[in-house]
Amino acid sequence: MSQNLKENASLVIKNCLPFVVSVLVLLISFLPYNFFILKGVHVAVGISCVYFWLQHRPDLFNLWSAFGIGIIEDLISASPLGSNVFEVLLMYLLVNSTSRLFNAKPFIVLWYGFMALSLITLFSRWLIVSIYYSHFLPLSVLFFSYLVTIVLYPLLSLLMAAVQNKLIKEDF
Amino acid sequence: MKRRRGLFLHLSHIRLLAKKFALVILFLLAFVFMLLNKTENAIIDKTYGWASEVTLSIIDVLVIPAKIIAQGYNYVRDLRSLYRDNVQLRAENQKLNVVYNKYKSLEIENRLLTSLLNYATPPNSEFVTARVIAEEGDAFSHSLLAYVGDKKVKKGQVALSDKGVVGRVDKILGNYVKIILITDINSKIPVLIENTRVRGILSGNNTLSPRLVFIPLDATVKVGDRIVTSGVAGVFPAGLPVGKIVSVGKYEIIVKPFSGLERLEYVKLVDYSIADDDKNESGRKEE
Repeated sequence: MSQNLKENASLVIKNCLPFVVSVLVLLISFLPYNFFILKGVHVAVGISCVYFWLQHRPDLFNLWSAFGIGIIEDLISASPLGSNVFEVLLMYLLVNSTSRLFNAKPFIVLWYGFMALSLITLFSRWLIVSIYYSHFLPLSVLFFSYLVTIVLYPLLSLLMAAVQNKLIKEDF
Repeated sequence: MKRRRGLFLHLSHIRLLAKKFALVILFLLAFVFMLLNKTENAIIDKTYGWASEVTLSIIDVLVIPAKIIAQGYNYVRDLRSLYRDNVQLRAENQKLNVVYNKYKSLEIENRLLTSLLNYATPPNSEFVTARVIAEEGDAFSHSLLAYVGDKKVKKGQVALSDKGVVGRVDKILGNYVKIILITDINSKIPVLIENTRVRGILSGNNTLSPRLVFIPLDATVKVGDRIVTSGVAGVFPAGLPVGKIVSVGKYEIIVKPFSGLERLEYVKLVDYSIADDDKNESGRKEE
């Protein structure tokens, strides 16, 4: 009986791991590092995590996980409440509707896919927040953030792939 | 048998519809959040504060290893410029000694003149030092999250660094505060050019360089002019250093903030009690 309970608990923990790892990476991205390169730029960690997990383990990362990521990002950020949720949900919608295109494809194809989908999500959020403020936000800053996000995506996916391989894969 | 299959298909359809519907509901919820945020709803503010406090407590734990990494990085970077910095600091120290002596004599002179003119001194200020635990600066917002503990902090309090104005307290989240930086799109500070006394508004635009707007068309503006708070509107007291003009274009004047917003570890949250003083003043008048 206790063995069963242990197994169930470990299964639940492993099922939650994609969400927990994503939240951790997200929180770390907000820490003050004082690295001059990243000043005025914020890596879009939320959409990167959503994209990675929906491409690799859609069974362990559902709509509610994506919504949770968006809400946490909204709580930390000073941008309008709901704008991060919108961005993350849009990424969820786009990945789900294009999943056939990227299914079992090499990493480089997935990276191209991320480049395209993150551009759409970031630009859509830019549009929504610009409407919210009735003022166009600086596109140059957004573009630089986008570039940094796509450059850092392989690194981020390497980290999450390690989590996937070490902690999740063996049990499934 | 047929009925069973029909029922099965029916349920799966409902499940599928519910799944699709959930996404639509969540999208709508995101828009509702944005609308409520615009109206500054009290219930949303309270829930937001509580949820933020929980999230920020986790960040507060994560900040320790991050600080060690950042300190290591800064240590290596500073080592390279140690000799040059030392020479520069010696020269600066000599200059500051002269300035200090001047300041002392001016202080005495000022005290004497103040007593002669019966000048009403500005209100005393109280401050709380807050530790920065998270920062954000992108196209959507520029803010800081800082830990204040159980110290009393009010919304709208001025955030200062050792060099000048950083921003103002926007939200109080239990033991933490959210500070809107002067570079954020929501930041509009009444300022003036120190030497010409020309008034204007320093408007953040989510880049590292805010713009100076609403200045008279015939005003003389030069690169290098210092910008200080004007004290108009009563949120910021007059005379706090903000930045200097780095570019004067045909359509915009760009300002570089004095306080290096990129290297903030601690901020001073100053309570000048201007609003309270105004209230007391109006109360006295009514009496």
